[in-house]
Amino acid sequence: MKSISLTARLTLLFASASAGVLLLAGLLLSQAIERHFLQQDLEEIAGRLGRVRELLLTATSRRALDALPQQLNDALIGYSTLAVIIAGKDGSRWFASSGDALPQALLKAPPTGEGNPVEWSQGARVYRGVTVGLPTGIPGEEPLTVAVALDITPHMEFMATFRMLLWGAMAVAVGVMALLGWVVARSGLHPLREVVSTIATVTGSRLTQRMNESGVPGELTDLVSAFNAMLGRLEDSFRRLSDFSSDIAHELRTPISNLMTQTDVALGRARSAEEYRAVLHSSLEEYDRMARMIRDMLFLAKADNGMIAINAEPIDLANEVQELFEFYKALAEECGVRLAVSGDGTLEGDKLTLRRAVNNMLSNALRHTLPGGTVSVRIERHDRGVIEVAVENTGEDIPPEHLPRLFDRFYRVDPSRQRNSEGAGLGLAITKSIVEAHGGSVTVNSRGGRTCFSVKLPVRPTNAN
Amino acid sequence: MKLLIVEDELKTRSYLKQGLSEAGFVVDHTGDGLDGRHLAMTGDYDLVILDVMLPGMDGWQVLQSLRQAGRDMPVLLLTARDKVDERVKGLELGADDYLVKPFAFSELLARVRTLLRRGKNPQTPDVLRVADLEIDLRRRRAVRAGKKIDLTAKEFALLELLIRHQGEILPRSLIASQVWDMNFDSDTNVIEVAVRRLRAKIDDGFETKLIRTARGMGYVLETTDPT
Repeated sequence: MKSISLTARLTLLFASASAGVLLLAGLLLSQAIERHFLQQDLEEIAGRLGRVRELLLTATSRRALDALPQQLNDALIGYSTLAVIIAGKDGSRWFASSGDALPQALLKAPPTGEGNPVEWSQGARVYRGVTVGLPTGIPGEEPLTVAVALDITPHMEFMATFRMLLWGAMAVAVGVMALLGWVVARSGLHPLREVVSTIATVTGSRLTQRMNESGVPGELTDLVSAFNAMLGRLEDSFRRLSDFSSDIAHELRTPISNLMTQTDVALGRARSAEEYRAVLHSSLEEYDRMARMIRDMLFLAKADNGMIAINAEPIDLANEVQELFEFYKALAEECGVRLAVSGDGTLEGDKLTLRRAVNNMLSNALRHTLPGGTVSVRIERHDRGVIEVAVENTGEDIPPEHLPRLFDRFYRVDPSRQRNSEGAGLGLAITKSIVEAHGGSVTVNSRGGRTCFSVKLPVRPTNAN
Repeated sequence: MKLLIVEDELKTRSYLKQGLSEAGFVVDHTGDGLDGRHLAMTGDYDLVILDVMLPGMDGWQVLQSLRQAGRDMPVLLLTARDKVDERVKGLELGADDYLVKPFAFSELLARVRTLLRRGKNPQTPDVLRVADLEIDLRRRRAVRAGKKIDLTAKEFALLELLIRHQGEILPRSLIASQVWDMNFDSDTNVIEVAVRRLRAKIDDGFETKLIRTARGMGYVLETTDPT
């Protein structure tokens, strides 16, 4: 699912936040007004009720009571929206003011008390009323049930209009807020769009470009610096890759040009079978070298794609080194180089590729050791489940500027030495790939007549890919 | 021994045919997968060399239908692609070996001979003889013309390998893998030094030289000079 845009997200959030606030405010406001109306109604009802109570108390005899309706009517003149009804002892209607909207039911219901009005509607009109018991002035007489009702239809009509206005205004306000939110979000996100347009201009040939970290808001500096760092890494890999392709072309040019020249010359005139055989043998050696190079490059390509299979099994490193020494012993003796191993350790890893990794380091060390020198392998257990295998040889120091690139493909300290038996200069790169596939790392240092290539490997391979 | 080559690349096919014929095999060949399957089903071949990428029907399918039909002659797969899962797939489908291009012909020849020898005459005599050279496998001793020769363990293993394959050119990579268990490209000059030392012990001071260098290809132990 495609995630919604930041602008839309911000606009939506802004609009819903303001809608929430406005809704709350509107609810409080309408509730306050309703409460005000209720208060007003209650006061009006209480005022009339007080007048009725006074008049009832003045009637101290039955005769005076009988004359009371006239006085009540007088007292109620001018209150057209108010109706008063008083029930007689037998429950019949003893007095009713002009508005006879009061249903008889109100009188039969238990008294509501002065503060608890009930509301009902009758026809198109809405009423609010209370029922109370009021004593008369006649001693010993039971109190009369008095009901007062108020026509509150105008209030209701007002509230309906008010609510419509309120919600209409609120809807408009929310719309305006959303629009403003959209404008604010868009302008707020402007620096982000600038970053995007800069990123859009990055191409393979323009990887040197960097973005200005000081020109963006604080929230984006992390993004920009991370992006710049990514550009840096890409530039580095890209450079290595293009170096690698040009190196491949270069490495192939020499043997192919040898083969062409040699074949051309051989075919130039008739020769003896012996001479032809010599040419073919020489070609075969070139082909073999190229085939090896292709195999090595394919191995590296597989490593780059995380396709080196690691069949983890326990490996006794000292034993592995001894077996490799067994292989190199004759050559080392011929070259007058001593081989030595110290320490031991066991780790889990792929036997075939790890042997190859150590082999390449050994082979490299042997090639650069002068007669009378020593190649020594040190196996050391470190903390946190790391084992180090260091291959050290005596001999000339490698100038420090070459050290960081020694594990690069085809890299040679001395370019003029490129065509001897040592292969194409991929050995240490292969070591590095294998070690990294096991989750380890490689380092090299060279000083005081000793060069040391070292690999650090986890005791159990961690999947580096 | 009768071999079948199924390979669509014309040059590869004709050179394989020539090389294998000259090595003493009877060779049939085709460049098409369907033809290849038909020939392999009907002909009586001791071994099939099968390319993976073929027109008509690919090498996997040919191999699969051969095995389903119960034809169990050794099959050596050739491919230009080296992927671990392809290798596994080939072996699961019943291939006996797997060779990635580019390969040396001597490598192919050595593998073909190994496959053909597999499962046959497993009982080995304790003593192997070539001309006046004699090695005792049980006591790990070598004697030439009655004279005892002192060999290291690896030198003995190398000599044994050469004698077992006498007359065959052994590529350096095969020697490195069989004697030192170095199953990857390693320093070739190590093998050179080792063979030179062995030769110094075996051949120096004798009229007939047994170990010969096949330039650019490997080493061979033989009694007669082929030239």
